[in-house]
Amino acid sequence: MTRDLARTRADVALPLAQFYIARSRATGDLRYLGYAEGELLPWVGSPSPVQPTALVLQATILQSRHAFDPALVELDRALAIAPNNAQGWLTRATILRVLGRYPEALLSCGRLAPEAESSVVQLCEQSLRALTGHLQEAYAEVESIPPAALPPPIQAWRDSELAEMAERLGEDTAAERWFREGLRVAPEDVYLRAAYADLMLLHGRAAETLQLLSGYDSFEPLLLRIVIAQRLLGDTGMATAAGRATATAQARLESAFALEEQRGESVHRREQARFLLDVEHRPEASLAAALENWRVQREPDDVLILLRAAREAGRPDAAKGARDFLAQNQLQDSRLEPYIEGARR
Amino acid sequence: MKALAAFLGAIALTLPLSVFGHIASNGFLVADVQDTRLQGSIELAGRDVEVAIGVDANHDGKITWGEVRASAPALRQYVAGHLQFATQGGICPLELGNVQVNDRVDGSYIWLPWSARCATSVRKLRVHYTLMQDVDPSHRGLLTLTDGAIAQTAVLGGASSSRAFDVTQASALRTFGEYLRAGVWHILSGIDHLLFLVSLLLPAVLLRDRGSWEPVQSARPAFLSILKVVTSFTLAHSITLALAAFGIIRLPTRLTESIIAASIIVAALNNLFPVTQRRGRIAFAFGLLHGFGFASVLADMGLPEGARLLSLLAFNLGIECGQLSLVLLIMPVAYALRRAALYERLVLPFGSAGVAALAGIWLIQRAFGY
Repeated sequence: MTRDLARTRADVALPLAQFYIARSRATGDLRYLGYAEGELLPWVGSPSPVQPTALVLQATILQSRHAFDPALVELDRALAIAPNNAQGWLTRATILRVLGRYPEALLSCGRLAPEAESSVVQLCEQSLRALTGHLQEAYAEVESIPPAALPPPIQAWRDSELAEMAERLGEDTAAERWFREGLRVAPEDVYLRAAYADLMLLHGRAAETLQLLSGYDSFEPLLLRIVIAQRLLGDTGMATAAGRATATAQARLESAFALEEQRGESVHRREQARFLLDVEHRPEASLAAALENWRVQREPDDVLILLRAAREAGRPDAAKGARDFLAQNQLQDSRLEPYIEGARR
Repeated sequence: MKALAAFLGAIALTLPLSVFGHIASNGFLVADVQDTRLQGSIELAGRDVEVAIGVDANHDGKITWGEVRASAPALRQYVAGHLQFATQGGICPLELGNVQVNDRVDGSYIWLPWSARCATSVRKLRVHYTLMQDVDPSHRGLLTLTDGAIAQTAVLGGASSSRAFDVTQASALRTFGEYLRAGVWHILSGIDHLLFLVSLLLPAVLLRDRGSWEPVQSARPAFLSILKVVTSFTLAHSITLALAAFGIIRLPTRLTESIIAASIIVAALNNLFPVTQRRGRIAFAFGLLHGFGFASVLADMGLPEGARLLSLLAFNLGIECGQLSLVLLIMPVAYALRRAALYERLVLPFGSAGVAALAGIWLIQRAFGY
């Protein structure tokens, strides 16, 4: 019934698609992205009058599948029709940031201005400056945005940016405070939870990691962190219930990666590289996955896994592209430093 | 304020998220080609079937076996409407079997066997897969298509919901080559068949005249003699090879192998103590037994389902190629040497005696199992 309505009415289809995308975010279930795409089908093609909002939503789906270039194409189509679509510019900035194309991303942030709150523009721009040689100043700038005035989702965004900046500055205690604060405002934010888990794992706090991620094993990336923590605790082998749980989780991840490869997609390539390195201890295979991931996306975490895999595989030169990228953008990250110096020596 | 609210929804979508989550929806399609018949299974996630046709009758959020069974007719109808196989001869009507539940790491799947009969032998297969596409365009059918020992995989759905595969054609060529090689290899390494043939061919460049051998005057009688022997042998072993390959006649290997050894002795002795000059008949009579010998090799290899006749033909052709190359190698030399005294006095008698002795040993080995 709803499905039939959505076929003919954009005012039904678009909110429905938006709802499915939100569901996908909240449950970690990629099928909802498919349902969203299904609702959008009549509104993004050429026969019907194209809806800019539909195109932006379509771009969001593509972005979620790490199909970044097709997503940018859809966004450019949308922004050509509706040049003031703030949602479109923000999505564009986000994608360009993931791709490591910081100057272009910064331009997109600038285009937000007429419609968006100034705090949003500021967050958008400062998070990019933090990646291009102005980490300390950007951190101070974002910290100065008063959180009380912000609606909860933007508060959580601010907290997650602050947490990551603090982590890159090497201020792990402050980072932890921001992560906790962010999760208090937005407990459903899976990205934040994963980043916090990584900080804990970096310090070997496996038991706390399991606590933080308890009940989140339906999200593959969180499941990966759970498996890493379980192995740190020595919960392996089939003799104990904990060991069997680890084995089951590991099998689930393996199957997910294998199916994704079979489909010719690379949504979880970064996680796969990490899985190969930290769980299966296969540095060469991990390096191959990390290099493939590097061709698709260039966030600091992507640099980290590539540098780590290259070192473990005894081929630090394989990560030359990543080191050039860091130097070129003056990207500062305390987590990466040991690998950079290691390579110079 | 309204603008801000609209924007908030947007913000929730665009935080710099990497994607998290469950794998996308996959269907597992298996298809096996057997000549004009296709057989296989389709496996869809229980939750996908629920979205497509509604399995959870009491809406309790769980899918029970009873509900799966009750919805089987609807599922069959749905699959029949969204999965299609066609060949150059048209659509192959689909027959769907009984549902089963299969647990995979990412949840329960509903497994449905199917078969389809095509009008002609499948060479080009078009698979049309639109399952789930209307609700979830990101659903993909992961196809494994097998044809004998050859397997192809493909991802169906989205932009490529309809795809064509070269099935028997590509693999038939490969199978043909494989069996052709096996035939050539078998005759060239199966020295017993060659010795039998050589024993029959050595005298072809000579004529038996009042108790002694005389070289032929021209190539014509020699050629005719060779042609007779080779054709008879080929005809005979082809008949029995086919009969044995299709299981119409079966003879114990030990018997056929022993008679093959005996046949060599007979052919060789006939050169030393000529009884008959109708070597074509010897070639035919014993050729029948050699055919069974070839068949035992083929039985070890197995004939691929759906390409039995073709493989048999290829194997036989391989044997003829090997045989012919031997004839082309030896006979011109024999013809050139036919007037030399050593041919009649040395090559023919001692060659034949040696061959007979060797075959005698084989006969004892084969017949008595040494």
